[in-house]
Amino acid sequence: MLFDQGVLDELWRMNKRQFLYQCLSFGMIVSSALMIWKGLMVVTGSESPIVVVLSGSMEPAFHRGDLLFLTNYQEDPVRVGEIVVFKVEGRDIPIVHRVLKLHEKVNGTVKFLTKGDNNSVDDRGLYAPGQLWLTKKDVVGRARGFLPYVGMVTIYMNEYPKFKYAVLACLGLYVLVHRE
Amino acid sequence: MSNKSNKNEDNKPVKVNKWDGSAVKNALDDAVTAVLIKKYNYEENYSLIDGRLLLCGVAVGVAMFALLWDWLYPFPHSRPVLIICVSTYFTFMGLLSLYTSYREKGIFVVAVQKDPAGFVPDNIWEASSALKKYDDKYNLTITVKDGKTGNLRTGSFVRSVANFIDDNGHILHDLVEPEVAKLHSSLLTEKKEK
Repeated sequence: MLFDQGVLDELWRMNKRQFLYQCLSFGMIVSSALMIWKGLMVVTGSESPIVVVLSGSMEPAFHRGDLLFLTNYQEDPVRVGEIVVFKVEGRDIPIVHRVLKLHEKVNGTVKFLTKGDNNSVDDRGLYAPGQLWLTKKDVVGRARGFLPYVGMVTIYMNEYPKFKYAVLACLGLYVLVHRE
Repeated sequence: MSNKSNKNEDNKPVKVNKWDGSAVKNALDDAVTAVLIKKYNYEENYSLIDGRLLLCGVAVGVAMFALLWDWLYPFPHSRPVLIICVSTYFTFMGLLSLYTSYREKGIFVVAVQKDPAGFVPDNIWEASSALKKYDDKYNLTITVKDGKTGNLRTGSFVRSVANFIDDNGHILHDLVEPEVAKLHSSLLTEKKEK
């Protein structure tokens, strides 16, 4: 159906403007998703407003595949017991863990230690070598809400990259080839 | 691309998947355009579609700029620029939907009928069409703006697409042309009555 002769014929029949519009409408689909994401970044103040929990280290609070909504308002203080998402140097994937200990100075700087609810030890072993505390600049955001299981789709997509590219390529081609 | 389309119309009939409503509509629109442009030798005016292309182009450009800027100056620093880009983008999306629904209104071709002597102002022909989903009724509306009097005259017909397409999905230009020509001349004769 997708590679139907007629559909491809249609693409060849287009004139320059129709073809350009076809490309632009494909661009607009991509751009809309991008702009919604960037808009969320601006609203929440977090560089990654939605993350997927990848491990079971926060069970029973969060399970693998849960979708988390984050905010990162600078004026909001970090408190013990909050669940933060942070980045560690040398690791690509941010970690979702709970704040265990926190030291706050009068001038507002904080340093804190985290631990996964389901882990038996704190996170010092996960931090960069020699790093004992996290500071505000390591924080990606703080969990404000979650949606269970929805993130499993992303996990599967990442585990089977070929499947992901195949789906994306098919969708892209369909949009590009199909005149509305 | 345009060379190919010419070849297609001249040599072999256009074939579409006849169960795909939008493909059928596009092919019929192209056939109607061909009648107006080729048979009557009117000049196609692209300003309407160019306007839409400009709106889309700016929107996509803004989005790509936001992506680039955010990559060059990672998030907290890029915030003011992102705010501008995001609001511009959604403003343009809004403008685009206003443009397509209130300005274009399904018009797929604007043709200018030049007066050979060049004394009388041009007549402007606009054709728009509608084909509802899961429906076979192709609704063609042609509007002509008389250059001399400034009057608008509108004519339309509703025909089943089966009148213009054979069993295999070939567009039958020979059947499209008389229908369009009939509508065209009815709009011309009205002019003479006045």
